[in-house]
Amino acid sequence: MTSVEKNEARPVVSLDHARKSFGDVEVLRDISLSVSPGEVIAIIGPSGGGKSTLLRCLTLLERLDDGDLSYEDVAVARGGAYGDKNVLARARQRFGLVFQNYNLFPHFSVLRNVMDAPVCVQGRDRAEAEAEARALLAKMGLAGNEDKVPCQLSGGQQQRASIARALAMHPDIVYFDEPTSALDPELTAEVLRVIKELAAENMTMVIVTHEMGFAREVADRIVFMDGGVIVEQGPAEQVIDHPREERTKAFLAQREG
Amino acid sequence: MDTLTMTGMLAEGFLVSLQIFAFTLLGSLPLGMLVAFARMSRVKPLALLARFYISIMRGTPLMLQMFAIYFVPYYVFGISLTTDSKWYATIVAFIVNYAAYFAEIYRSGIQSIPRGQHEAAEVLGYSKAQTFVRIVLPQVVKRIMPSMTNEVITLVKDTSLAFSIGVIEMFTVAKQLVASQVSMLPFAIAAAFYWIFNLLVDFVAGQIERKLSYYHD
Repeated sequence: MTSVEKNEARPVVSLDHARKSFGDVEVLRDISLSVSPGEVIAIIGPSGGGKSTLLRCLTLLERLDDGDLSYEDVAVARGGAYGDKNVLARARQRFGLVFQNYNLFPHFSVLRNVMDAPVCVQGRDRAEAEAEARALLAKMGLAGNEDKVPCQLSGGQQQRASIARALAMHPDIVYFDEPTSALDPELTAEVLRVIKELAAENMTMVIVTHEMGFAREVADRIVFMDGGVIVEQGPAEQVIDHPREERTKAFLAQREG
Repeated sequence: MDTLTMTGMLAEGFLVSLQIFAFTLLGSLPLGMLVAFARMSRVKPLALLARFYISIMRGTPLMLQMFAIYFVPYYVFGISLTTDSKWYATIVAFIVNYAAYFAEIYRSGIQSIPRGQHEAAEVLGYSKAQTFVRIVLPQVVKRIMPSMTNEVITLVKDTSLAFSIGVIEMFTVAKQLVASQVSMLPFAIAAAFYWIFNLLVDFVAGQIERKLSYYHD
């Protein structure tokens, strides 16, 4: 395995020997993955390969059957046994998640979508949270849309608002679950541009994506998953340009059509 | 007896009808939420109990429920019935009956909220209670408004069932007037009262729906 870690600092998140089954189907088979501060990882691979399940386990939306998961000092799971409510709550403060279909709260204004959790969950000062939310929205190119509701925005705008919502919580790491799969090509571009900007600012990110060109451009490390295992990982030049594994080659050949 | 006098007497009766209406809503709107939670509970016995409750309340006549509740204190606890008993039995029967219908409407609304909303809230760290109050409930209210309006309109008319147990509300008064005056006019006036009040219910519901139409999902 080629290491492309930017520094030797403690990983933001580490997952060891993770296993997860749905009924008889083993979706994650002994997955280990750790993400260093500032690192950007793109997870690629065919549908049903376990990418989304991996992300859902990392964001505590699904529970591992076995394995360890920790966010720095917060040990979430040990051998598949999860910590109590407080541990999980502390872990949730460490990461943000951007969904494929945004999942903005439709009854809140765009501004409230971004500032509600900081005020309501983190107990931050309302004025301070609002100022930051406005700044984040401006950074996402959404200035002037603060008082609209999500249904008045385009898909690309909604996705950028949901990125602002995740960032407003000051996460150590942001996960993206196929952030552009529901978008037209031109709207995809504006979302990818925003993610690239975040990468340039050293935001730690894990992105499940089908956009190969984008993955190559933005990711320090490409992780190719298939059949519930990490088949191959490393820098783009290696995994995308010179894949060593047959499954990786087959997948990439199919993508290029 | 002139029309004005009759209308005055019916109006007095209608005040009683309105009390039944108001107390029923006051009790059944929150009780229905508790029943809905029980019905959706992961605690199997509780969910089954709620299902049974809803089944009985929807499966038997409200009129019969009123009588059952009226006689329970006497037959089960040996408490002698007073003139107030009929009134309390009516209110209790209306509340428990309507709570069952509201519970099912709430449940339909709650279960229609996409899972992604819960997941987004969970990842952001909202507690279960915060998620329900801030994220789910406001969206549920919008979605169930048409069904709720239906039910509330039915309730306005159902208050006339209190006549059967001897609570003197508007329909009781109308029936007495029809007999004593040998005229159908009191029925027509009573009908007008129900209808006009329901126009008001419809108007208020429309206003609420309009207020909630600032977004769609």
